Amino acid sequence: MNYLKRSMLYLTHKKGQSLLLLLIMSAILVFVLSGIIIQNAAVSATNSVTKSAGTTISVSANRNKMFSKMRSSSSKSKTKTITTPTVSNTKIKEAGSLSTVAYYNITNTASVNASSFDTVSTSTGSQGGGMMKGGSGASTGNITIDGVSSTKLTSSFISKEDKIVSGRNITSSDANTKNVVIEKELASSNSIKVGDTITVKMTTSGKKKIKLKVVGIYKAKSTSSSGMPGSDPSNTIYTSYTLPATITGTEGKSSTVTYTLSNSAKEKVTTKKIKSIINSSSFSVSSNDESYQQLLQPMKNVQSFAKKIVWLVAIAGTIILGLIIILSVRTRQREIGVLVSLGESKLRIIGQLFSELFVILIGAMVIALLLGNFVGNKVGNQLLAQQETTSVSSTSGANGGPGGGGGAPGSSQNGGMRGGAMTSQTTTSAANKKALKTLNTSISPSSVIKLGGMGLVIIALAVCVAAISILRLRPKDILIGE
Amino acid sequence: MLTVKNLTHWYGQADKPLYENVDLSFDSDKVYTIVGASGSGKTTFLSFIAGLDKPQKGDIFLDGKNIKKIGATNYRKHKVAIVFQQYNLLTYMSALDNILTALSVTDSGHKGEKQYVLDSLKSVGIEEADAKKNVQKLSGGQQQRVAIIRAMLVDANIVIADEPTGNLDGENSAMIIKLFQDLAHEHHKTVIIVTHDPKIADQGDVKISLEDREFVVA
Repeated sequence: MNYLKRSMLYLTHKKGQSLLLLLIMSAILVFVLSGIIIQNAAVSATNSVTKSAGTTISVSANRNKMFSKMRSSSSKSKTKTITTPTVSNTKIKEAGSLSTVAYYNITNTASVNASSFDTVSTSTGSQGGGMMKGGSGASTGNITIDGVSSTKLTSSFISKEDKIVSGRNITSSDANTKNVVIEKELASSNSIKVGDTITVKMTTSGKKKIKLKVVGIYKAKSTSSSGMPGSDPSNTIYTSYTLPATITGTEGKSSTVTYTLSNSAKEKVTTKKIKSIINSSSFSVSSNDESYQQLLQPMKNVQSFAKKIVWLVAIAGTIILGLIIILSVRTRQREIGVLVSLGESKLRIIGQLFSELFVILIGAMVIALLLGNFVGNKVGNQLLAQQETTSVSSTSGANGGPGGGGGAPGSSQNGGMRGGAMTSQTTTSAANKKALKTLNTSISPSSVIKLGGMGLVIIALAVCVAAISILRLRPKDILIGE
Repeated sequence: MLTVKNLTHWYGQADKPLYENVDLSFDSDKVYTIVGASGSGKTTFLSFIAGLDKPQKGDIFLDGKNIKKIGATNYRKHKVAIVFQQYNLLTYMSALDNILTALSVTDSGHKGEKQYVLDSLKSVGIEEADAKKNVQKLSGGQQQRVAIIRAMLVDANIVIADEPTGNLDGENSAMIIKLFQDLAHEHHKTVIIVTHDPKIADQGDVKISLEDREFVVA
């Protein structure tokens, strides 16, 4: 009968003690496994965040450069005008074809006057408050034309602030057409339906009229707070980015583009590449990974906490098991003495102890695998919820800012923007935050291997601690009392 | 033959040695009894010849080979079997498993021979049903017989017993002594029994008295 059989005999004979050890070991392994799977889930969620956090790189006019150019202009006119710089769509597309870019949205804005219909005006008690929407220059119209690559990629549509209620979205296939999507209030107050044609009048170029085809009607949630005609969201017409460029006389060029990355981790290298493609000091290329960082932090905290759980439980488990085994060795001194007197080597006796714990480890692993996912899921999501709460409360101040700068006073043709490009980041972040409300914990083969490895290390260390007392035992002292 | 030469031992910082320059020889086919008062050092002597402890001076030879060279573990494993007053059986096993364990640990020629073990136990009055019970469910006399059968079936030529009848009644004591005599006379082993009981000591082939730090062979 070798020491492995002796281990089994001992465990079956000492049922109570074996059960107690099984429970202790199971508790240790359940927490170790929970820590491992929380860690894995957090890592996988972090990877997912890295890919989908929607870090954006915006290419827009370098305002400092723009204003300094305006100041140094030789014009003696009282009202100085600035011209928004543009970049060719070819360069924009070249940058958009970078492998790290998921999609991009070109934004061009123009201001026109309604011709075949009336604008929607919102009356408020106080006039003049709020943001400037293109100023009060003579060239500012009462309708804002927001040209985009696709309305679906526009922040207000992503965040469901604007929602198509009839017809369809503006897509890339609408480029070089005069298809538009208008707001529901504007449509109903003028009895405009999908398929109708409306007319707008340019603010310059001899007040030329342009016929636009309504392909969709959207509903805007927000209302204007300023009471200015162009500021009411209902007076914003979405169209392809090519139309505002035609209106402003910058065909084939655009003023703003927002690239959304497929992998937030590649933000720096992509920014560098885009800068080199755009290659113009009139433009600033800036990245915004705020939402990525906001999402990343709670995950990093959960990961770090899970790591601490694993180590803490492993260390505590080793100490607890070590102490239990030392106590057990004390009660088993006579048995050890008998085996030593028979000529059994102390190493084999230690081997017997190890194999007893190994059998218990197998049982405890089964229990841990049954309970670990449940406990890990509960603990992980609790941790994440705490982290989310902390993160939201600590960042809420930063997120409450205005939705964009709007056009410069008196800028040529360009009316106010609704802050579309800037809010894209925030809305993507909101979508990701929703996705990260829960941790998807699951037991993978690598988790089982890790658990087994940790379990083996724990019992090996515990046995090593106990082995010290076994090696110090003198058989004569145990077996023969003088 | 087991030979003790110039064995000297002190207890701690004692002024005088427990015994000094002890020379003794133990032949096979004989039962040796070592008798002495409590505290005389007879069990300490037993621990030296059993390889459980080392004397401060002197050597022990088995068939001319120093047991230091054989190695204590190897010596205990293959050359010597010990029977204790407290039986010292593995309490989580049956009598049968105890003996099978000993045969396995000592690499005995009878390793794994379950029926042989059961027959041997039966020869000392332990039936198969009792042999398969947990050893703690057996009486003291039965447990000591199991311990003796364990010592008999391992291949060791020397059997050392420490007060083997100390916990037994007269009838069981007589049976145990008879078993030791059989071990020596029929199984050709060297049996060394340490006892404080003069009646048990008288039943050996050679009686050694430990008096005033001296081993006196009768």
